[in-house]
Amino acid sequence: MEEVGSVTVADIPSHQQKVGEVLLEVEDLSVDFKTDAGVVKAVQSVSFTLHAGETLAIIGESGSGKSVTAQAIMGIVPSPPGVVNAHAIRFRGQNLADLTEKDRRKVRGQEIAMIFQDPLTSLNPVYSVGKQIGEMFRVHRGASRKEATEAAIELMEQVRIPEARLRVGDYPHQFSGGMRQRVMIAMALSLDPAVLIADEPTTALDVTVQAQIMELLGSLQEEHNMGLILITHDLGVVASVADTVQLMYAGGVVEKAGADDFYEAHAHPYAEGLMRSIPTLIGEDERLIPIEGAPPSLIRLPPGCPFNPRCPYVTDRCRTEKPLLRSIAGYAGLVACHNAEDVRSAKVGGGGGSGE
Amino acid sequence: MDRVSSEEGGTVNTVDTGSEALLVVDDLVKWFPLTRGIIFKKHIGDVKAVDGVSFRVKKGETHGLVGESGCGKSTTGRAILRLHEPTSGHVFFEGRDVIAMSKKEMRAVRRDMQIIFQDPYASLNPRMTVRDIITEPLVIHQIGDNKARKDKAKELLEVVGLNPEHANRYPHQFSGGQRQRIGVARALALDPKLIIADEPVSALDVSIQAQLVNLLMDIQQEYGIAFLFIAHDLAVVRHMASHVSVMYLGHIMETGTRDQIYGAPQHPYTQALLSAVPVADRVVERNRERIVLEGDLPSPAEPPSGCVFRTRCWKAEEICAVETPELKDMGGGQMVACHFPETRSVLTVSGASTA
Repeated sequence: MEEVGSVTVADIPSHQQKVGEVLLEVEDLSVDFKTDAGVVKAVQSVSFTLHAGETLAIIGESGSGKSVTAQAIMGIVPSPPGVVNAHAIRFRGQNLADLTEKDRRKVRGQEIAMIFQDPLTSLNPVYSVGKQIGEMFRVHRGASRKEATEAAIELMEQVRIPEARLRVGDYPHQFSGGMRQRVMIAMALSLDPAVLIADEPTTALDVTVQAQIMELLGSLQEEHNMGLILITHDLGVVASVADTVQLMYAGGVVEKAGADDFYEAHAHPYAEGLMRSIPTLIGEDERLIPIEGAPPSLIRLPPGCPFNPRCPYVTDRCRTEKPLLRSIAGYAGLVACHNAEDVRSAKVGGGGGSGE
Repeated sequence: MDRVSSEEGGTVNTVDTGSEALLVVDDLVKWFPLTRGIIFKKHIGDVKAVDGVSFRVKKGETHGLVGESGCGKSTTGRAILRLHEPTSGHVFFEGRDVIAMSKKEMRAVRRDMQIIFQDPYASLNPRMTVRDIITEPLVIHQIGDNKARKDKAKELLEVVGLNPEHANRYPHQFSGGQRQRIGVARALALDPKLIIADEPVSALDVSIQAQLVNLLMDIQQEYGIAFLFIAHDLAVVRHMASHVSVMYLGHIMETGTRDQIYGAPQHPYTQALLSAVPVADRVVERNRERIVLEGDLPSPAEPPSGCVFRTRCWKAEEICAVETPELKDMGGGQMVACHFPETRSVLTVSGASTA
């Protein structure tokens, strides 16, 4: 039972075959929000590495810290009340904390771009989409207005907005939700970033549109060999595209694995609980097995493992000692659970998810 | 009162004798007028949110109404309760036309028809205690005295899995999932025969959503209440409903038993919709066939002629633009509104056997 410190763990064998250049290294990132009610521990010692061409899915429910993690990388955590602490957040070896705000702004957008859940509130309603996409070129590349418009049209074609030349002068409200998200993706891609962070990019969209956008993101990533971070609450949406999965709960990473391993085997009780909670379209229509209770307050986290009040495998140790990410025998991923071996054997013995 | 057994969802003969139908929606239409000008409001068109919808819900059954945003499913639910006054059509509840009722009659019928809303934050009055929220329907309908209502509130809180001691608390003291339970308790207060649940679990995280889904299923089993379950999430509907209707742009495209719709969909839209739903399984996701629809949802103010789905349909031919396909019985009660219906099982994937 070898314990592995959460800081040094980054590489998991199963995604190493996808050897791209290391783009992003996050080491021991924590984010607190100081509020009148107390300190909200939104993110606690999160570490990961992202390679070129890799898709990292950060999965978690509301309040798990997945979006704040992304904001911290982008350097857009509102401060105050936010306080970001990290051993390092490195982009191509350069610690972003060492940069001046001016240099940081260059990285943001040009090197690391982000798209958000709600494309309507992220777009300016009084400028045409062409102008908003083109502005990136005007500001960062000093393009003329004409050049910027041409570049905008080209990008709109790239994200497959039909009749881009005709629609370049249209305003955001004239587009559907899916098309708006394409506009956002076009803006994010405009400066050919090395890393794209997509925060719930399809959550506000209908399933048929969702499928289109995920397909688009996947193919664009391949074309540009980007590192892609997909932040989502939906285990289904990222199932086919993720290379690596990082599952978060109450601000911390509870499991981290190659996607094949995670979807097939997952070893954390929370991961197991989530999988059982999802109603499925395929297979036996069994009664759902929910996770009892609710996520803890991030101001008053329970001592020990934050999942212990809801965990069916809880032991005394879980109530006092916080588990660190560690590897366990017979599983390629890393799990922050004292009893992960028991969870694994219970699952193998109990036979794939059948209730009693 | 006997209930529809959910285990036999797929095999039950669905030909209605009419007598067991609790709710019959017949050619329901709801158009929202579009106007221009401030003083002289010129009528320039209509948003055809619901345009001729018909289906029936039997006693004690859960009928799922699914579709993407803008398909008119929520408007249908509201029009049934006359929260939106329908433009035309009929809604028969226990054989009586709800649309033709006077306000007074309507009020009496509303005892038997309740609604649960999507947003547990907006649908509960923040200045009322949980007890007041739950017993408000009893007060309005002048049922019981104070003591009886208090007891009822306690009982209902227990039914929905909340601590009865918390009856004096206010909504903000509860989490989203707990608030939705309060909404359920309120809907149960008058012992309704039908609950229209409009996306009741959509705003919740999956782990909490599963708790609510189980609660609703237990309640239905226990009390034999019929549900009209309106949702965009096809997987949740599969768990809840014995019958399903699929809506697109104000029309019902296909309706049938759960096993017909999920196992042997015949309408291209149903097939596309099912093929797009993500599944939390790598093997399935990698191997499944995905029908990606081209283009966008047309505006309901100017729906396409003929079949409303034809602009995005890969099967569309000339006739689809000219003639609106009627819902036709394809056998076993499965009704499809398509000129070229064809069974295509989009969910069977080779090598996907584990749950």
